[in-house]
Amino acid sequence: MSEFGPTVKAFLHQLILAIFVVIWLIPIYAMVINGLKSEFDVTSTPVFIPPLHPSLTAFAAVWSQLDVPLLNSVIVVIPVSLVATFIGAMAAYYFYLLSVSKRRSLNFMSNTIFSLIALATFMPYQAVIIPLTRIEANWGLLNTYGGAIFAFILFYIPTAALLMSMFMAVLPRDIIDAARIDGSGDLRTFFRIVVPLTIPGIISTLIFNVIEMWNNFFIPLVLFNVAKQTLIPVAVESFTGGYGTLYNESFAAAFLASIIPLLIFIFLGRYFIRGLVTLGTGGKGAV
Amino acid sequence: MVVTVKLSKVTKTFKKGKRNVEVLRGVDLVVERGACMGVLGPSGTGKTTLMRIIAGLEVPSSGEVYFDDKLVSTSNRIIVPPENRNIGMVFQSWALYPNMKAYDNIAFAVKNKGEETRKKIEEIAELLDILHVLDRYPRELSGGQQQRVALARALAKDPSILVLDEPFSNLDARIRDSARALVKKVQKEFGVTALVVSHDPADIFSVADVAGVLLDGNFAQVGSPLELYDSPVSASVARLVGEINELDGVVEGGKLRVLRGVVERRDCQDGNVKVGIRPEDLRVSETEVQGMISLGKVRVKVSSYTGSSFRLVVSPLEEEKVELYVNSDRPMPINSEAVLLAKPEKIKVFKNN
Amino acid sequence: MATLEGRSRLRSILNKAALVLPTAALSIILLYLVLWNLYYSFTNWSLFHSIPEFVGLLSYAQAMSTVFFRSSFVHSLELSGGLILVGNLMGMLLAGLLYFVRSSKLRTVYLSIFIAPLAISMAVNGVIWLWLYNLQIGIDWLLVRLSLPALPWLSSTSTAFPSMFIVAVWAYSGLAVLFYLASFMGVDKSLIEAAKMDGVGTFKTFFRVLLPNSYQGVIVATALLFLFSFKIFSLPFVLSGGPTNVSLQTTVVYMYYLYTTEFFAQSTAIATLVTAIAAAVVIPFALLGLRRWVRRE
Ligand SMILES: Nc1ncnc2c1ncn2[C@@H]1O[C@H](COP(=O)(O)OP(=O)(O)OP(=O)(O)O)[C@@H](O)[C@H]1O
Ligand SMILES: [Mg+2]
Repeated sequence: MSEFGPTVKAFLHQLILAIFVVIWLIPIYAMVINGLKSEFDVTSTPVFIPPLHPSLTAFAAVWSQLDVPLLNSVIVVIPVSLVATFIGAMAAYYFYLLSVSKRRSLNFMSNTIFSLIALATFMPYQAVIIPLTRIEANWGLLNTYGGAIFAFILFYIPTAALLMSMFMAVLPRDIIDAARIDGSGDLRTFFRIVVPLTIPGIISTLIFNVIEMWNNFFIPLVLFNVAKQTLIPVAVESFTGGYGTLYNESFAAAFLASIIPLLIFIFLGRYFIRGLVTLGTGGKGAV
Repeated sequence: MVVTVKLSKVTKTFKKGKRNVEVLRGVDLVVERGACMGVLGPSGTGKTTLMRIIAGLEVPSSGEVYFDDKLVSTSNRIIVPPENRNIGMVFQSWALYPNMKAYDNIAFAVKNKGEETRKKIEEIAELLDILHVLDRYPRELSGGQQQRVALARALAKDPSILVLDEPFSNLDARIRDSARALVKKVQKEFGVTALVVSHDPADIFSVADVAGVLLDGNFAQVGSPLELYDSPVSASVARLVGEINELDGVVEGGKLRVLRGVVERRDCQDGNVKVGIRPEDLRVSETEVQGMISLGKVRVKVSSYTGSSFRLVVSPLEEEKVELYVNSDRPMPINSEAVLLAKPEKIKVFKNN
Repeated sequence: MATLEGRSRLRSILNKAALVLPTAALSIILLYLVLWNLYYSFTNWSLFHSIPEFVGLLSYAQAMSTVFFRSSFVHSLELSGGLILVGNLMGMLLAGLLYFVRSSKLRTVYLSIFIAPLAISMAVNGVIWLWLYNLQIGIDWLLVRLSLPALPWLSSTSTAFPSMFIVAVWAYSGLAVLFYLASFMGVDKSLIEAAKMDGVGTFKTFFRVLLPNSYQGVIVATALLFLFSFKIFSLPFVLSGGPTNVSLQTTVVYMYYLYTTEFFAQSTAIATLVTAIAAAVVIPFALLGLRRWVRRE
């Protein structure tokens, strides 16, 4: 490549990158424009052409079926991600205390717990669907907020605990020791010192969990069997339609389902990205 | 309640990979109530480890730690956890809580938060000259102010013992002296038992009543700072406590031969020995001086100014490789020749090993 | 004095308990679910045997002897293996391109675009791609315009799986890009500067300096691509309109299919298998990778 001049090289660099960026954006672009198409546009344009006569009819049509699932998702996901992050952070601090402990047995225990937390984080949660639905059926939790909340807490606390324990690894040892010397109990130290010092990590964990829970398709699929009562990803799936149906409604539904995570991603994306990086590398490396 | 701290045969072993590293090897130590003990040692000898064991942050591998007659730690067991030891500690890093203002940092350690506490904190702050920065965050404070906030935090809870880990090493050289004086002053004022750790002898000389030199996991010598300085038991101790020139010498029939000089030394056995002479016990001169003996002629290699006096590097004429540091009240031209003189009673003789 | 000490010890224990109990309780429930699952995998519980009996490994044998299992397991392996391969290549390529973008703002924007699919529900992504694969108004419309041959995409059994694979590459490559870029950014800047000084070209710098110093990127990208792709459920489910389309079925979809048709014991057997495979990757990754990297701080 060295036979090219630096300008050509820079141009090629930008060009190749631009091509990939465009390819990556096409599906999202399609989602944004096609929900705004009128019935006429749908029958006369492919998915790549912007609407000739923008209209909200598709949104109006799908709204009546998505309003409840959207609300359900908000009601379940927001509080659960807050609670899961907080509980996970508490466990992470306990885990931190174990890992700085000098006792061999505790150290072994902390390795075991770490593996279990990681396993619970990365395990295909589909694998416990039968016992989960059985238990929820016995407790009368199917088709209820309680049932979804229980499942989400169960599956996402490990993620929160794993993320937070990696964010906490950088807590200065001396400061935690100083708090002990100052007679502060573990809970007080957690609330007065650990939480304030790990706020960025807490936000990352929170954002990461909100997006992951919001987008989870499988859990509402098995826990809800009333179409109108489910969470948003499952509700959208009923708009796949067959060939020949109007695609503007599919895209309008897709857009409604993604608007919240996408907005979060656009404005707080760096926290989500930090969450991902930490999940993979234990917090080393910044982008 | 201020206590006497006693350590008995304390050992500490760390695991480093597969290897066991014995950091402390049977340390015995007593710090009397209200006394200020200094611990001196090179980097990595376990000074911080020793403090952490006293504080209860680290568990001894064997041995016991007592506060007065109360057993607080024993082999692999912490009996009184650090939160109940009522220790005031100033960390090497100061470890101020970054999310709290200076006042809250100090108040964090105090149990009851009444008006009385506020008054007391302000009194201490006044004493340490940080009253005007109490509503600042640690990151908004200068190094010296941070150190004083850390000290105030350690004092505010009326500690049974005050533990300071290299309290001056992170300070600018120019404020170190006043910081040392301040620590000494509050320690005496509060009458608190104190333990100061440092690798800088100047710290120990300015604050400690008693000092110990920690070498290879044990105290090589314990005594008053002056004792350590003037009668060190070994070359390593002498080196740690202050600058010293080390030379080879021979003792024969009560006479020590070093360079070209001969000194009476009845207390030494015959044989090869190490000889230590501090720079201030040496002088270069053209003439004889009363009470000093000659070590022979030397050539001046370097002459420099060190703040208050001149510092020379000289070599004996016939032994260019040997270099000695000498204090001088005046500069000397490079390559000039003169006679090297020493105070005979200050010449230290160590066993050769 | 003794009671005082006892009280303080009690306080310390209570403090620690308060920190860990909520998570511990939920973990025990999760563990219980996994063990429950394991237990029933050794029975013959199904629609026809509503009272489970212990049958040893029979349900495993039954569930794994079907042609569906074989094809779905092969699909899972192909999907994971292919994604690891292509994802790593995309990661190296795109992260390499991103690394040499001068403006850090622009780099972040590009990176965000590659990661954006991960912020959208895979079910929603499936809905979008269903239409992109439409034979009249989707990608084929473009291909015809460009005088290229149209492809049958999801509507033919031979192209359905590769079509889904493309969606997976689009959706998950961002992970690899992210971890490679993180690794590249961690490489000592002075090495790059030195290479520049020596007149080493960009390509050589990339292959000789950046890549060899980014082993962590390879490990993490590979591990996470595997862990994410092995549990892909929504894409095949949505793209094939349910769990029954054999050409897109993956192992977890097959497991779900067994569940919906009430072959419970067989479903739990597959679930156990999936858990074991995930554990075989997660535990070494957690202990040898994550744990060490965290500790090194
Ligand atoms: N938690 C630990 N695990 C393993 N080794 C340790 C640990 N803490 C200290 N050490 C080792 O013990 C030795 C003494 O450490 P320590 O921090 O007590 O030295 P120090 O005298 O305070 O040194 P410095 O003057 O540098 O502060 C060192 O070799 C150190 O590496
Ligand atoms: Mg130290």
